[in-house]
Amino acid sequence: METEVLIIGGGTTGTGIARDLALRGIDCILLEQSDINSGASGGNHGLLHSGARYIFKDGETAAECAEEGALLKKLAPHCIEDTGGLFVAVEGDDEKYIADFPGMCEKYGIPVKPVSYAEALEKEPCLSEKAISVFSVQDASIDPFMLSLDNLADAESHGAKLLRNSRVTGFEIRKGTIACARVRDIRTGNTFFIDAVQYINATGAWADTVARMADAAIPMIYSKGSLVITQDRISRRVINRLRKASDADIITPGGTVSIAGTTSVEIDHLDDIRATAEEVDHIIKEGAAMVPELSTTRFIRAYAGVRPLVKKENGSGRSISRNYTLLDHLADGLDNFITITGGKLTTYRLMAEKTADMAADRLKNDNPCLTSTRPLPKSAKGEWTEPGKSPKIWSSSPTAGDTLICECEMVSESMVDRIVEALKAEGAAPDLEEVGNRSRIGKGPCQGTFCSFRLAAYLYGKGELSDDQGIFQVRQFVNERWKGFEPLVRDKELMRVELQESFLCGLFSMEHSNELMKGYDDEP
Amino acid sequence: MTNPDNGIYNVAVIGAGTAGTAASIFASQRGLSTIQLGRPSEMSFASGCLDLFSIIPGETPKFFANPWKGIESLLDRNPEHPFSKVSQKEIKAGFDAFSRFMETCGIQYTKENDANRFIITPAGTLKPTWHVPSSMSAGSAALKRKKKILITGIKGLKGFGADQMASTLKSFHPDIRAVTVQFPGREKAGDLMCERLAWDLETPHVLEKFAAVLASHTCGAETVGLPAILGVHRFVELKEKIESIIKKQVFEIPTLAPSVTGLRMKEAFLAAAPEAGIKTCSQSVKKIDMDTEGNFVFHITQGLEKERITAEHVVLATGRFMGRGLCIKDGRIREALFDLPVTGPDSRSLWYERDFFDAKGHGVNRAGIETDPCFRPLDANGDVFHPRLFAAGGILAHQDWKREKSGSGISISSAFKAVSSIRKGS
Repeated sequence: METEVLIIGGGTTGTGIARDLALRGIDCILLEQSDINSGASGGNHGLLHSGARYIFKDGETAAECAEEGALLKKLAPHCIEDTGGLFVAVEGDDEKYIADFPGMCEKYGIPVKPVSYAEALEKEPCLSEKAISVFSVQDASIDPFMLSLDNLADAESHGAKLLRNSRVTGFEIRKGTIACARVRDIRTGNTFFIDAVQYINATGAWADTVARMADAAIPMIYSKGSLVITQDRISRRVINRLRKASDADIITPGGTVSIAGTTSVEIDHLDDIRATAEEVDHIIKEGAAMVPELSTTRFIRAYAGVRPLVKKENGSGRSISRNYTLLDHLADGLDNFITITGGKLTTYRLMAEKTADMAADRLKNDNPCLTSTRPLPKSAKGEWTEPGKSPKIWSSSPTAGDTLICECEMVSESMVDRIVEALKAEGAAPDLEEVGNRSRIGKGPCQGTFCSFRLAAYLYGKGELSDDQGIFQVRQFVNERWKGFEPLVRDKELMRVELQESFLCGLFSMEHSNELMKGYDDEP
Repeated sequence: MTNPDNGIYNVAVIGAGTAGTAASIFASQRGLSTIQLGRPSEMSFASGCLDLFSIIPGETPKFFANPWKGIESLLDRNPEHPFSKVSQKEIKAGFDAFSRFMETCGIQYTKENDANRFIITPAGTLKPTWHVPSSMSAGSAALKRKKKILITGIKGLKGFGADQMASTLKSFHPDIRAVTVQFPGREKAGDLMCERLAWDLETPHVLEKFAAVLASHTCGAETVGLPAILGVHRFVELKEKIESIIKKQVFEIPTLAPSVTGLRMKEAFLAAAPEAGIKTCSQSVKKIDMDTEGNFVFHITQGLEKERITAEHVVLATGRFMGRGLCIKDGRIREALFDLPVTGPDSRSLWYERDFFDAKGHGVNRAGIETDPCFRPLDANGDVFHPRLFAAGGILAHQDWKREKSGSGISISSAFKAVSSIRKGS
């Protein structure tokens, strides 16, 4: 396989780079080891920062966020809900920080307005009565899945190609130039090679892992951040704690839910990233200081992402280190390898532009970046990510005999048919995981207890599954939901888990495959 | 016996699942005036099979075709398991008494050489169990004797994928195939419910039409598997009638809740209870007090009337979290009605494994109340909480019925032992 640029990592940055390059007429392949946004791009708040969060720590980042945020609201409005945001200080918070806040915002060009408590309460009745100071800013919520899928769709329509479930396992380097990348299809286990002119490492937390394959280490710190999703939306606006950036001080609304977080826990390795019960308790306790309802509301999922932080002390001249890190790897003796990591979801486009600039320059391509002026087209790929989308479509186009597979999120057989067709067109296997990733199936209150089975049964009926694949796929599907639900099980949730286990294990014996049962009843 | 002369019941059974039902039956069989309370919705989860014991959960789970050998081996490893408090003789006596009662209600069980057998589940997996209702026994026999099986699904009936079941079972049982048919009169419906179809089939012409649809697909099969929809009341008769029309053996496969198999047990029990002298009341009990004589007192609402119930003995068969026998108070697991202490994992981080299907099972499932050898709950000091309070079923500690496939076994045997320990007028 040959291409001009091989982009490794299908997060918001990778898909953004793919679109940027494709619009410049540069041929590229996007390689993703699992699925779009399966790393930190999918494990965040979905917050389009006003920048106010960073004014004390990093003014430059703050200004970048303000500028990019405003740009994205214009260019990708369908991915954004322009909620606005509040910064709220409660009794006991640092008075000096509060006093300096509006001045610092103005210094970096971030629009800010003081809000009286009465007015704030009218806007957001969920606010604590212990609030002592409130400012409004221009935060918004953004759907990172829709954003990446739309970037990808536009990139593909301009010739870019996506390879999912494909992991780089090494590079062949000849005299300081990467000749090709060795790639494994993790579904089939087959290895193949991709021959590119430039190689871009946009793997976020995995940047060091991939760089090491090219003998170029990046000193990194992995900071895990956990978040929880509420069953119902708590506020109309983004609500930030007005204090020095700390744990659990942002609540972002998104569609029908709210997301509270985050924590910051340094971790050593990137396997099995998940939120813990302790982190969930901490988020709820801290968040409840601003919004007391958090301590009584129901939660539907906890999840975590890893912030890829590049250690500063090793940052020599080769690193252009702002909130993100762009490395040209010339000092590593490599002339066609680029790493982009760190950064914010809000500045993903800018990061993609700077990275594409470097690659285009090396390819002697003079075409300008178009992503700062051309609107991001809405695509069919992203439409299923929106909570509440399924019911809307289902109720607007009812067909007789269209059976609901997922009753919690109202996903019907005909909708699954459409997703299966789309997956096949992409060359992906229409299995439980893929259909789950592209729909709301399993994401409602039953967390897959009933719908995982119905979906498996339906896919068997369509001939998409065979042999005993279904047992393993249902287990995997349920475990993916379990990963996000287990940290939340504290009280009434025990009932739901018991119900689920009574069916899946008590009645179905799903914990054992039929293979184990062979010879079982021969014993006298 | 329904209304005791002195207004005091010998036994109040709290809970309407398998343990509560079994306890009520055993109490009435012993001539004790009995009232059973609780929402019978618990029964809608029942598969209809009576498990005894099949699997010791663990890193490497151990499977037992012979439940008695299994229990012996289990008690070596887990001497505090509820089975440690009942002898083989008592377990057998409990199952005999329970199935005898069910037989009088029309529910018959078959068992083979005292050994565990498989039933086919809607997932296409195999579940080991002990007593199989007669409506399902042809399936277990067909698996054992390698007969040609046809699994029949019904269009619009969700969660019962005939193709899924046949494909999944193929490597275990090669002679299996699947067909999905339309249910007469419900061809256009998008969502079908098992219970609705079961009521439909009680109408003779629907049954005949359905049998005719089946007959056109059964060529080459020896045994035909259907979702459990063959009637709510007249299931024995309906199954025989279909068999006589299609000239094949038929067996039912239990479905997800609300299941017809569970509904049958509930209906049969409720119908037979008055004659057996069991008063039933489908209300949950939220609070129980003591009177000056040391009897248990609580209130139920019958229509607009509030009725005071007094009982000498209570059998606590309230189940686990779903049945609301266990609850969380200040982050700790407690028993809901008497606030009895619960043995179990100390912290929340020890409740569950990361893999939902971990073969060891989850720590929280072994939590429960401690009892003396007669199943009388113990207090925090390890003393009997009340001499006339007993417990049975899922609420007991040191068991994991979902993984052991021991739900009915624990419920029936603990209910039997508890009720046997009740001395009238004591």
